[in-house]
Amino acid sequence: MKILVVDDFSTMRRIVKNLLRELGFTNLDEADDGQTAWPKLKAGDYDFLVTDWNMPGMTGIDLLKTVRANPQTANMPVLLVTAESKREQIIEAAQAGVNGYIIKPFTAATLKEKIDKIFARTSG
Amino acid sequence: MQNEQDRLELLEKAQRLIKSIESNDNLVTAELLSAISIDNEKRLFKEVGQLTRNLHDNLATFALDDQLTALTDKGIPDAKERLNYVIDMTDEAANKTLTAIEEVIPVTTEMEHKSEELYKNWNKFLSRELSLPEFKVMSAEITKYLESSCKNTKFVHEKANEIVMAQGFQDLTGQVIKKVIGLVQNVEDSLVELVKIAGAQEATVTPTKATGPKDKLEGPTVPGIVVEGAVNNQDEVDDLLSSLGF
Repeated sequence: MKILVVDDFSTMRRIVKNLLRELGFTNLDEADDGQTAWPKLKAGDYDFLVTDWNMPGMTGIDLLKTVRANPQTANMPVLLVTAESKREQIIEAAQAGVNGYIIKPFTAATLKEKIDKIFARTSG
Repeated sequence: MQNEQDRLELLEKAQRLIKSIESNDNLVTAELLSAISIDNEKRLFKEVGQLTRNLHDNLATFALDDQLTALTDKGIPDAKERLNYVIDMTDEAANKTLTAIEEVIPVTTEMEHKSEELYKNWNKFLSRELSLPEFKVMSAEITKYLESSCKNTKFVHEKANEIVMAQGFQDLTGQVIKKVIGLVQNVEDSLVELVKIAGAQEATVTPTKATGPKDKLEGPTVPGIVVEGAVNNQDEVDDLLSSLGF
């Protein structure tokens, strides 16, 4: 399972990567915004995308929409991990086809729960 | 500024002044000079009055400018809340980290001492210096040590994860500080506008219209700042998503 972690704050990328390693995922890559993430997603065989929303260049929601619009990546599970907590944003993300939505600050248990749920659904 | 009528009046007075000087009529000369001087003062007062009016109007317009009003009403108090939140978050993260380390150190110290002791005895055993009763004691201690080692390494691992999670403050406070920097920029722009207006003489300066924040994203929820339509925790996110069929 190859996972791309996208966040403009390197500390948050490290945190998410550490947590993913704890959960047994070892094939991890990172990008600091949507603009740098998208070429990687298009070129690489990633299985899962974990992204922040508020980033310079390309935001997480635009990255999600781009992923869904491209046949090559359209079915990739996407988890948003963000400080954005407005209902309209959560609805926008749901409509854009997000698979999970976590608001910061979050716990390791929440991340595990959402990932388990995403993979139970996509594999089932 | 002198209009045409003022100019003609001044010209007429000047011609009379020349005549009065030529005819050596000191009284009329003094009267005319005084009249010309009073006219000048009047014009000056009129100009100062006009400038004062312009400044007043511009300041009145400026005070009503949305951006400045928003900044004083909401922006500055919000910035204080946000910065207080940064203090709280960094305090919490530092304390979580220090607590975890304070809990870990005694555990690792105990393991260190125990393993040093066992290592000594083990070497004695290898050089056949250990008696049978001593060997039996050491065996029991090794069993105990291995048990506690499993428990302790798990504990240290958990604490290490707590330390990792505590570093989330950097992202959240970073986002909050970026917002405050944006606010400071807005204040600076407004002050520059104010200086321009105060420095302008007769030109009509219109303050720039409030453009609103550049990014509409709210960022982290800050206690004390109410964001309309925001959820309060992960449970509310989950409820909202399940209501949408997730």
